[in-house]
Amino acid sequence: MIELSQVCKSYLRGENSSVHALRDISFQVEASEFLAIRGPSGSGKSTLLNILGCLDVPTSGTYRLGGEDVSRYSDRELSRVRARRIGFIFQSFNLLPGTTARENVELPMIYGAGRVDRKKALALLDRVGLNDRASHFGNELSGGQQQRVAIARALVNDPPLILADEPTGNLDTAASEEIMCILQELQREGRTIILVTHDDAVASYAAREIVLRDGAISADLRRQANLANDASVPPEMNHADRS
Amino acid sequence: MQIAAEAVLAFRSMARHRLRTFLMMLGVIIGISFLTVLNSLGEATKQESMKRFKNMLGTFDTIIIRPGAGRTRGMVSLTNVPATLKFDDVQAIISEVPGVKQVAELQNAFDMDVKYRDKAASTAVFGVSSNWLELRGDEVAEGSFFSVDDDKALARVAILGTDVQAHLFPGESSIGKTIRIGDVPFQIEGVLKSRGAGPGGGSLDDLILIPISTASKRLFNRDFLTMLIVQLRDPSRSDADVHAITTLLRERHHLAPSALDDFTMSNPRAVMAQVTQMGSTLSKTLEGVAILAMLIGGVVIMALMLIGVSERRREIGIRRCVGASRVDIMLQFILEALTISCLGGVIGVALALAGTNVVARLQKLPLALAWDVLAISAGLSLAVGVLFGIYPAWKAAHVDPIAALRA
Repeated sequence: MIELSQVCKSYLRGENSSVHALRDISFQVEASEFLAIRGPSGSGKSTLLNILGCLDVPTSGTYRLGGEDVSRYSDRELSRVRARRIGFIFQSFNLLPGTTARENVELPMIYGAGRVDRKKALALLDRVGLNDRASHFGNELSGGQQQRVAIARALVNDPPLILADEPTGNLDTAASEEIMCILQELQREGRTIILVTHDDAVASYAAREIVLRDGAISADLRRQANLANDASVPPEMNHADRS
Repeated sequence: MQIAAEAVLAFRSMARHRLRTFLMMLGVIIGISFLTVLNSLGEATKQESMKRFKNMLGTFDTIIIRPGAGRTRGMVSLTNVPATLKFDDVQAIISEVPGVKQVAELQNAFDMDVKYRDKAASTAVFGVSSNWLELRGDEVAEGSFFSVDDDKALARVAILGTDVQAHLFPGESSIGKTIRIGDVPFQIEGVLKSRGAGPGGGSLDDLILIPISTASKRLFNRDFLTMLIVQLRDPSRSDADVHAITTLLRERHHLAPSALDDFTMSNPRAVMAQVTQMGSTLSKTLEGVAILAMLIGGVVIMALMLIGVSERRREIGIRRCVGASRVDIMLQFILEALTISCLGGVIGVALALAGTNVVARLQKLPLALAWDVLAISAGLSLAVGVLFGIYPAWKAAHVDPIAALRA
């Protein structure tokens, strides 16, 4: 599904010096995997998320997504990939201000299919349990509800890859569990979930964990994933080889 | 991209930021409305001054010759001109300058006492040749004008301007009645059609016309003229004719080569061009001001849009993540700028139409709405929207989505 090989990303700082945000990152993610990416701030998580999410291209190395080398794609081509194959979920929900839940879910269809399918949007809201909130505005919904709208929005173009950036960071425990439960369900459908988080409890839902430090992978761990609504059981960690 | 869905979102965003949207439109509204009003009024003023000018000068294939060097201010009369233009000069011009078709002569005096029974008036008396009416483009409204024979016979006949008619004969016909100009009795043969106001705004109807021979021999006892109207066969050759007449008159008046002309010639075409030129210089300046207002409006649009972009970084990030390319984002913001500037343009034109109507009514000017100005306004609105929308739109397209969404 995902194949990064020797991906580097550096930014120019001033005239001649450059900052290496990512160095020599290589790993593979299979379809239907649930992967957590962790690491202290400044470790390169954002940069990696940008590249995985096709919002940026690597300075060197290759990124293959679903067998397609996207590492030299133009902005327009990357946008097409984002629209059709990647769903984003963020910590701060990021619903469009002044728009209803349904309109938020419809937004990706404007850029993806180019045709808004209202029934599909409503069906997805129904799926995340918000069929009665379709015409509510973002600020009329609770945090958990907003995040569920965001998940429905991420799913509307039926992408095989879901990128979740601290999806429970702004939620209480109960709402967090709801969200993680939905993510696990998406994984069982065959979608690949990549989760960026600081939170151990949240990370424990993932069967695999990549730890970043100073722009490089410092650990790649595999373990028995926690099951939804079973967060009390401490996960059993297995150290795997760095890939 | 589905434009309709986008437009709904854009309008809702504009509705949410009503004040900002209004401020963004304001510059365009002011610029466009001023441009349209100024242009319409400029056009109306030009037409009006052309009309008044025509009122004063009559037809356009004529040259006017006045006695005296330099410019005599105001309307000339027997009391304020040198006695340099004689009847003989007129004969010479007619016989020796082939480009001249005919010449009308004028000998006039202001503030002449006129009496009819117990009514008295003080008015201008113009002694004119019988072709005067034709060369001035005037008409007789009632009765008839005098003939060449009347002139030759020193007939004491008079034609009244409408002001004099109204003053001496209120509510009755004057034809056939006898008035006294000075102490000389004149029989009224006709009444002129009203000509309204001259360029200075004064009435052109407060006068009496009598045959010039009668005037010079019976009334004024003068053998010089106050004005000649020379009609040309070919107005496009007026420069050559002016030269020929100048040479002839200088020769007849025995002027040394170094001496100034003792007469003044004006070519109505040139004066006309000057008046029109003056009008268009004025409206060009005002248009410049209006365009400046538009530019300021554009800068306001740009500044407020830049603020908008930094406030909407999150929205931009979301759109980018769900598949908007940089081009899509740029188009969105340019479309918003265009919508605002074009709405401003529409409001501006609407205000201008209202304003033009009001001013035209107050100033009693004919309303002249120039449709080409509307086209220019539309073009300018679009141009301002695109021109000042591009940079903020570019900024918007280069917002880092993840950074914006993590903030």
